[in-house]
Amino acid sequence: MAGTHANPRGLSVRQFKAILKKDIVMELRTKEMITSMGIYALLTMVIYQIALSQAGTAFDPRNIAAGLLWLAFVFTSMLGLNRSLVHEKDQGCLEALLLSPVDRPVIFFAKATGNLIFLLIVQALTIPVFAFLFLQQGTYAGDLWMIPLVLTMGSIGIAGVGTLLATMSVNTKGKDFVLAVLFVPIMYPLLLAAVSATTAAVLGGDGYVQQFWSGMGLMAAFDAIMLLAAFALYEFIVGA
Amino acid sequence: MSESKESPGTNAVEVRSLTRTFGIRKALNDVTFDLPAGAFLSVFGPNGAGKTTLVKVLTTLMAPSKGTARVAGMDVVADAVELRSHIGLISHNPLLYPDLSAAENLEFFAEMYGVPDASTRVRELLEAVELDHRRLDLVRTFSRGMLQRLSIARALLHRPEVLFLDEPYSGLDPHAVDILDNLIAQIRADHTFVMISHDLAKGLSLCTHTLIMARGRVVLAEEISAVKRDEFAQLYRSTVGMGVA
Repeated sequence: MAGTHANPRGLSVRQFKAILKKDIVMELRTKEMITSMGIYALLTMVIYQIALSQAGTAFDPRNIAAGLLWLAFVFTSMLGLNRSLVHEKDQGCLEALLLSPVDRPVIFFAKATGNLIFLLIVQALTIPVFAFLFLQQGTYAGDLWMIPLVLTMGSIGIAGVGTLLATMSVNTKGKDFVLAVLFVPIMYPLLLAAVSATTAAVLGGDGYVQQFWSGMGLMAAFDAIMLLAAFALYEFIVGA
Repeated sequence: MSESKESPGTNAVEVRSLTRTFGIRKALNDVTFDLPAGAFLSVFGPNGAGKTTLVKVLTTLMAPSKGTARVAGMDVVADAVELRSHIGLISHNPLLYPDLSAAENLEFFAEMYGVPDASTRVRELLEAVELDHRRLDLVRTFSRGMLQRLSIARALLHRPEVLFLDEPYSGLDPHAVDILDNLIAQIRADHTFVMISHDLAKGLSLCTHTLIMARGRVVLAEEISAVKRDEFAQLYRSTVGMGVA
């Protein structure tokens, strides 16, 4: 009896869609990632608010708002990224996935896309709370359209690098620790650029458009390099 | 079957000097054997003998450190992606997503394998493993026997030529054992089987060829017709003793 043979390129697209759909269906059913990430992000905002409540009227929280926002997103994403691969490890599902005739980068891009979608949903829930607590009416000086752009560009890097590192750490004993130790140093350039671009978007001022696009350019370069590296390394990492 | 350096064209599995190391430990040590197409190989050996590592290498889940292996005429390293369309694995782990239904699990894997007319094939297999009435139920609600039956359906979805069975009877109730026996009997003529088992009687009752491993090496590789059951059982017991010593 012959095995099933399909057009490899067409099959890769089908496989990408199948993995992405499966991850979304499972998340909608369990709500594990979005709930845990969302609650963690909201609690972080509340803690920031409490921490800054005694800073006095001279202190303008907008000056550090971008840093606070990305700090919350980094820790929130680490929480979720680990969960996304732990699902695959349950009952040997990752093994079943690896047994199928799928190019390993297809698995990476599908998992990273799923993580990006979940991260963007959590950000969409968090931003209004952040704006309410830190960007009170009349104090916002930048351009509103810049915010979703910088969040998306930053999240692509977080989802890509995070998916790669989560795959590396999923078989290790202290996977949460391993992911954190690897994730933060590698993400450093992206976070620096993201905070810079977000600060420009929030504060406005002289040259803020140039500062914004400069940060966006750095983030785009980081995303491209990291996605290419993940594409090249995923086969080795997932088979190690 | 015997340990052979020949390369006959009709072999479903050809293993040559296969070695897999973990650090300084050799989980597989210079393993060589052939298995003709259509044969049923039962692999026996004590815990730690290298049986699961052998199956992982032959199913492309693990790369060998040295040596070569061909399954269904394809190299397990160079032709890995293509080979995966021709093999199936039934493990003691169900390899299924607990938060998807039975039908969703099979539909997902049908997409991964590019199975044509997937919905018909899924229905056909759910009926074959007697789970059609539970097709919409989440897999996490299934008993061990039901999980294993669904796992069999998953492994057969893409009509593989070579089926690897890693202790498939482990933890099954008698009804599930009967279903698995019936399914194997139905597809026996069209497939080559490689089964790891600790159950000597079951393994010998199914196989045409047998292989005993210990400490990563092949101790015995024979056609079952050349093996006397009593001598085999004695050899196996002494091998198990060797393995745990």
